[in-house]
Amino acid sequence: MEAHQWMVNYTRQTEWIDRRGIFLWIAFYAGGLGGGLYLVSLYFNSLWGMLVSWLIIAVIKGGTHLVYLGKPLRFWRIITRPQTSWLARGFIFVMLFVIFGAIQMMLTHWLPDSALEIAFKTLAGIMAFAVALYTGIILKNIKGVPFWNSTLLPILFILCGLLGGFGLSVVIALNGGDINLAAAETGSRWLLLANVLLIGIYLWRASVKEGTSKQSVLEQLRGNSAPIFWIGIVLLGIVIPLGIALAGMIANDMSTIVLVIGVVCEIIGGLALRYVVLKAGAYKPLVAKPQ
Amino acid sequence: MRWGMVVDLSKCVRCYACVAACRIEHFLPMGINWPRLVAMETGGDSPTVSTYSVRCNQCKDAPCVEVCPTGATTRREDGIVTVDQDKCVGCRYCIVACPYQNRTFLSKDKDQGFFPGRVVTDFEKAGKKLYKHQIGTTEKCNFCVERIDAGLAKGLKPGVDREATPACVNTCPARALTFGDLDDPDSEVSRLIREKKGFQLHPEYNTDPSVFFIDGKIGQSDDPKVDDKPEKEPEAIGVGE
Repeated sequence: MEAHQWMVNYTRQTEWIDRRGIFLWIAFYAGGLGGGLYLVSLYFNSLWGMLVSWLIIAVIKGGTHLVYLGKPLRFWRIITRPQTSWLARGFIFVMLFVIFGAIQMMLTHWLPDSALEIAFKTLAGIMAFAVALYTGIILKNIKGVPFWNSTLLPILFILCGLLGGFGLSVVIALNGGDINLAAAETGSRWLLLANVLLIGIYLWRASVKEGTSKQSVLEQLRGNSAPIFWIGIVLLGIVIPLGIALAGMIANDMSTIVLVIGVVCEIIGGLALRYVVLKAGAYKPLVAKPQ
Repeated sequence: MRWGMVVDLSKCVRCYACVAACRIEHFLPMGINWPRLVAMETGGDSPTVSTYSVRCNQCKDAPCVEVCPTGATTRREDGIVTVDQDKCVGCRYCIVACPYQNRTFLSKDKDQGFFPGRVVTDFEKAGKKLYKHQIGTTEKCNFCVERIDAGLAKGLKPGVDREATPACVNTCPARALTFGDLDDPDSEVSRLIREKKGFQLHPEYNTDPSVFFIDGKIGQSDDPKVDDKPEKEPEAIGVGE
């Protein structure tokens, strides 16, 4: 009877989260985080931030996504067909970001403030935004999983990536990097609030949309994914960073270790958000009404 | 021309002959099935059993074709959706995008042989030569496209001549499966769909499947006004991945 639960009950997708799907989860998150950090680094004009974001996208995002593929040596087939799907476009965005970002960092180092540097900053910035955005579009386009089929998802992923980017910029600032710590903290706080608001709206809209997406929401709030949702997203991703942010506003001075803990919690929260979104994506029963 | 199939739910006896025939026809590894069966029971004292023989629906607007980043999954002019395993990169976007969950990723653990670590049967040896399944790629039912193409080349008519008809249709002892041209109003499939009010699974996805079902008791529609509502919620009684 177990073998056909996928036919008669709500069934969650497994390919993109279970077993080797873990690589895809990391790839999706790293894309958002790296893209977000690059955009934040552009704002602060931080070469260190740009370098870290470049490494995140080139090594972690690109690497884990390639490892996930069943036939990784055929990846060239993907990048030569941008007209096919957002997955192909995403691979191209990553590749272009790696190229433009590398040229831009060399120009920033050796030819700062040149027209060429600005041009490559713009190009790499556009690609970073696209890298952070496309994973959300990939999921949004899947009609069979109603929980993902929402225009809010790419926005949520972008905001989550920017939040992680501001978080990492705080760490770079604490380590003597070329970033204004106070500005990074302020940006982090506002984005955290925006994320909380958007997660709430997203879950509410999904729960009233139709039965299957409501089931996905329930899976997160009460089902097997509930510990990750409540501990990973709510406690570590929202409550602790928010508490640290409020304490920082009141005390006006926070120790480095507390700030770093806050950033680590934010990163875990972002990872948990991607994990739960992928894990809770469910299909309608194929032939029966849901039980 | 658009090849399609009609599954008569009132005739299927859950013998799994279609599943077995497909395995033999395509030398399928033990871990995967292209067609699958699900049997469902509704009603209290006099329960009604419906068995759904499901497979790739060869959708006219197939989500798998839309999302494939390499062009490995394509829809032919005759409506059959095929996967070129030499082009598939194993991203599994098509598997996730299929709302009917009728695609399978062939991983190593699904192709360990019929008797893992003990003996490789002659059937498996023949399969390795005749029908290569590539680990790390996606698979699905292709309406026995090889039989159709070979049959047409000989001037045969798929759905009428056995040699040009999918193996599962030929094998079904209850004649629950019918194959033919959906675009031909005089074909048997068109007649069955027309006369017995054939329906597709989840029409709300606008994928326009080429597999139709007739004489179903449950699951025909999400709309309670037009659905043949069961007396109690359906319960799965079928097994067999």
